[in-house]
Amino acid sequence: MTVDSIFLLTLRQLSGRWRLGIMTVLAALPVLFTALVVRSDSAPWVTEFEAIVLSTMIAGSIAPLIVVAIASAAFANEVEDRTLANLTLAPIPRWQIMLPKLGASVTTAGPFIAISAFLTSYLAFNHDMTAVLAVTVSALAGLLMYSAVFVWLGLVTRQAIGVGLLYIVLWEGFFSRFVSGIRFLSIRYYSLALMHGLDPRRFVDDPHVGLGVAVAVSVGVCVLFGVLSTRRLRRMDVP
Amino acid sequence: MSANGSPVVRVDHVSRWFGSVVAVSDVTFDIEPGITGLLGPNGAGKTTLLRMMTGLADVSDGTVTLFGEPVRDNPPLYGRLGVMSEHETVYPFMKGRDFVRMMGHLRGVADLGAATEKAIALVDLAAAAHLPLGTYSRGMRQRMRLAATLVHDPEVLILDEPLNGADPRQRAHFQDLLHRLAAEGRTIVISSHILEEVEQLAETVLLIINGKLAASGGFRAIRAALDKRPYHVRVVADRPRELAAAVVGLDSVDAVNVDPDGAIIVLSRKVRDLQVELPRLAQAASITLLRVEPLDDSLESVFGYLVEG
Repeated sequence: MTVDSIFLLTLRQLSGRWRLGIMTVLAALPVLFTALVVRSDSAPWVTEFEAIVLSTMIAGSIAPLIVVAIASAAFANEVEDRTLANLTLAPIPRWQIMLPKLGASVTTAGPFIAISAFLTSYLAFNHDMTAVLAVTVSALAGLLMYSAVFVWLGLVTRQAIGVGLLYIVLWEGFFSRFVSGIRFLSIRYYSLALMHGLDPRRFVDDPHVGLGVAVAVSVGVCVLFGVLSTRRLRRMDVP
Repeated sequence: MSANGSPVVRVDHVSRWFGSVVAVSDVTFDIEPGITGLLGPNGAGKTTLLRMMTGLADVSDGTVTLFGEPVRDNPPLYGRLGVMSEHETVYPFMKGRDFVRMMGHLRGVADLGAATEKAIALVDLAAAAHLPLGTYSRGMRQRMRLAATLVHDPEVLILDEPLNGADPRQRAHFQDLLHRLAAEGRTIVISSHILEEVEQLAETVLLIINGKLAASGGFRAIRAALDKRPYHVRVVADRPRELAAAVVGLDSVDAVNVDPDGAIIVLSRKVRDLQVELPRLAQAASITLLRVEPLDDSLESVFGYLVEG
């Protein structure tokens, strides 16, 4: 299979020292924040912690920021340095180029997000493994969805990081919170719905879709943007 | 001619525009086995044309076929094609041998180890194959990229400015290699903006100027055809009327007009002779030439390639 060559190449391209350093700092933020607040005398209520750390920090900021820095570069770097033709001139179906690129993005970003979500929830919920598992799995589901979106974004614009940041701040951070109805088009919303589905004690006051719907939408987002990336690879002018 | 009777490469009324800029305009030609040179100045549309011939870029109008099949969005066809773009970027962290091996793997080469070593030997770079590409000189990078282009033994080679950065010894080696590959029946298209390169390599030349196919055929025939075309040359001098009266008597001049602004427009079919005769005439008559320029881009190109060449 040619997939392994592209996967390993992309893994190497995404493993720059600076990029990994920034990822480490981002991933450490919610863990440090949680470690500090749970020890303080004025520790937040569970609902406050969920809103501030799980929703805003991990699902709405840290996870998408880590993913945008990695996934948008999966293709964008090669478009920029004009080496993408090495891959697109190979006699293989375009999905066999897209899939290992997506896989390498998930593999690179995954450990940062998983460890960050695991440690944060482990500290916050007093070693309650149901809660820890729910937080970690929902963060990983968010990782998959964000990766599919940002890999596609890296193919459609040369300003993928900038557009991705705008999307994170405006769409996920602002509109999906304050404009009713838009949350149904937010990755953060389905990520939190998964968390609630796996551990019903989380976000008890918020309206949620069922676990089945959240899983279906998560898979749907990944498939949709995977298809869009493959289609883009077939139709774009490769520099 | 390919097995199905079609030309190996057919470019049929192909145009490509970017917004209001026309990069390639209604170009038609066929390419058969052997070495074909794509000649033209920088910005003439050579690279755009080559990218459409490889399927990397879409056409705005017309069709491009390889072995009778559309080349765009046709991955199975890419196994028969070897492409070396003008961009010299490589994966700097990757060793030369690993790069060639990866390219062979992506192109489904069966005996990968043997094919990799054979391709590297062809470009005479076995001694440096264990080093990262980031440590290579420009010429070495080009040679290793050529090895990666050849590793799957393609029937058609499309090489965009492949001699960039090569020293004279490397150029000679490269030319010898291309002649050998062509003798084995391959179809090779090589682009260049340097006349001598194409003259030494190609049996057939496609001359691209301003996105159009200005001429095609044997190298000498093209040169002769271009020499026969009349060209307008604008001459500005301190005493234009006296110069016009003298210039009209030159063998290289077909007609002379004086513009209202005082410039002389000379029509000539022998531009190279005119370039020699005009300064001599001006010097003999003590007339100062302030400006001599071609009036259209094609003439500028001809000056660049034929007169200077």
